[in-house]
Amino acid sequence: MTALLDVDGLTTSFFTRRGEVKSVRGVSFRVAAGETLGIVGESGSGKSVTCMSILRLLKTGGKVVSGRALFEGRDLLALDEDEMSDLRGNAIGMIFQDPMTSLNPTLTVGEQVIETIIRHRPVSRAAARQRAIELFDMVRIPSPEARLRAYPHEFSGGMRQRVMIAIALACEPKLLIADEPTTALDVTIQRQILVLLKELQAKLGMAIILITHDLGIIVEFTDRMLVMYGGQVMEEGLVTAVFRQPAHPYTRGLIAAIPNIADDNGQRLRPIPGSPPDMHDPPPGCPFAPRCPEAMLQCRVPAPMIQAAIGQSSRCWRLHPDAPRPVEQDGRP
Amino acid sequence: MIAYLAQRLALMLATLFAIITLTFFLMHAVPGGPFVSDKMMAPEIAAAINAKFHLDEPLWQQYLAYLGGVFTFDLGPSFKYPGMSVNQMIASGLPTTAKVGLLALLSVIALGVPLGVVAALNRNRWPDTAVMAIATIGVAIPSYVIATLALYVFAMRLKLVPTFGIDDWRGYFLPVFALSGFWLSYVARLTRSSLIETMLTDYMTTARAKGLRPGQILFKHGLRNSLIPLVTVIGPVAANLLTGSFVIEQIFALPGIGRHFVLAITNRDYTAIMGITIFYAVVLMVMILLVDLAYLALDPRIKFGARHP
Ligand SMILES: Nc1ncnc2c1ncn2[C@@H]1O[C@H](COP(=O)(O)OP(=O)(O)OP(=O)(O)O)[C@@H](O)[C@H]1O
Ligand SMILES: [Mg+2]
Repeated sequence: MTALLDVDGLTTSFFTRRGEVKSVRGVSFRVAAGETLGIVGESGSGKSVTCMSILRLLKTGGKVVSGRALFEGRDLLALDEDEMSDLRGNAIGMIFQDPMTSLNPTLTVGEQVIETIIRHRPVSRAAARQRAIELFDMVRIPSPEARLRAYPHEFSGGMRQRVMIAIALACEPKLLIADEPTTALDVTIQRQILVLLKELQAKLGMAIILITHDLGIIVEFTDRMLVMYGGQVMEEGLVTAVFRQPAHPYTRGLIAAIPNIADDNGQRLRPIPGSPPDMHDPPPGCPFAPRCPEAMLQCRVPAPMIQAAIGQSSRCWRLHPDAPRPVEQDGRP
Repeated sequence: MIAYLAQRLALMLATLFAIITLTFFLMHAVPGGPFVSDKMMAPEIAAAINAKFHLDEPLWQQYLAYLGGVFTFDLGPSFKYPGMSVNQMIASGLPTTAKVGLLALLSVIALGVPLGVVAALNRNRWPDTAVMAIATIGVAIPSYVIATLALYVFAMRLKLVPTFGIDDWRGYFLPVFALSGFWLSYVARLTRSSLIETMLTDYMTTARAKGLRPGQILFKHGLRNSLIPLVTVIGPVAANLLTGSFVIEQIFALPGIGRHFVLAITNRDYTAIMGITIFYAVVLMVMILLVDLAYLALDPRIKFGARHP
């Protein structure tokens, strides 16, 4: 199976006045056509930077140091700016966290949808407008024709996020990147938006990368998941597999922090004791080692991804055939 | 819309009334008067003159009479230029002041905004550094220094432009340059910082994530939003430039309103001082009203009657 998106060894740093911030350090993953990949991790683990690197929308100072991101076989990181902007909003759509700030306050929402269509499709303004009405209808914005003329401030947060979805889906993308699309919304609205996204995915067949803090959302809405920490992938696998038997101590910590998975209603992660690494100078080996109850001396050496089960692998020395078990505190390998 | 305009107009009239009252009584509170000078004047002549201009009447009566005049657009006779009314004085200075001011305003907008944009787009590279260096000098050095220096270099040394007057079209260059220097620099700096700030907003990231072309991103999404803070300063700036800088008019010997104003103050020409002050106030208030209307056009979040935060 060739993946729709194949990210390999992505490494991104921010070069700031206070030195290099190593935000993403060798992240690799694949997304198959039509599937939903969830990315979880604490704040600052590099989820957003990973996605923005792929779309080449990094803020000033951010630079992809190495790696590849093949989208339908083409390396996004090697395209020129024109080719890249042809893909953005077209084959790859993106939704952001804060619908209050991600729409332009001085343009009507209709215009913001229409300009996207006109940019990527050889259609007249009238046709683009017609399409925008269909899109508003599709994302369930009531009386779409009238709402087209409204400004963002006349919409609620949930409605604005629907507008963002309409924009992202305007050109029927093959991949939709949604960076915490519901974090800024009320719990009830959160569900509506996610259910809508899943419905639209079933209809349009696009793949989704869904970034979230919320393991409940991962369980309910994604097929495979990526657990990130300190700019690296700690664990990757089918959601069912990872939840049945999390292979990385960090993943176990995350899951344990949820009181009751079964009647989940959107709890956010409760932090594991300790604080995330300073990305100016991350630990040489496993970034989680300083907080890890199962850390050993070997953890100071970078671990490879090791297969834990079918469709599940983890970056933890504990999975290595030679690793000592049962667990010793600070034991020697 | 109509109700809003009516409300604004009423507010402007009230402000004008306050300004007139304040200026009138402040002016009369200062010792001395238009016909008090070192030349000795026969008491009966002084009395006759005072009677002619109603200066012998009680102050409140003079005030009421003046107020009545203003609201019928009659600013009264000049105390110092016999046979000339203040209306005529303003009318004679206005064309010069307005022409130079309008050109200055034009250069502030037509040069200041693009320079700021160029600087913002080349942030921390040489075009930015160059524009900001010049703009910093422009803000720091007073206009009369710029005017004098420019006069020396371009008019006296290089003889590219006349040293005074605007009979020749080349005569406009230096006064306009000197008058606009400060605000041009100011607007360039403001445009730069505003655009840089706008570029960092989420909706600009959205615009890029939609694949829009760089030109669309800059003009349709970036510039429009960053012009909003600029509109705030343009109103007072326009009023300032259109009413003229008396220093600049003095240096270039331009027969504008500013010069009349300076003379009026030194002469204690009561009606002229009052008249020109009122004229300035009206221009300023009209500009501020225009700014608010521009806001409405630029920023859909603003409703009639509510000012921008
Ligand atoms: N513009 C920037 N300049 C410098 N460092 C940055 C910048 N943006 C992100 N970083 C750093 O990169 C790291 C990863 O940030 P990122 O935004 O990807 O985290 P995240 O996983 O998306 O977190 P959150 O859940 O809070 O959104 C952090 O350490 C952050 O400080
Ligand atoms: Mg993020």
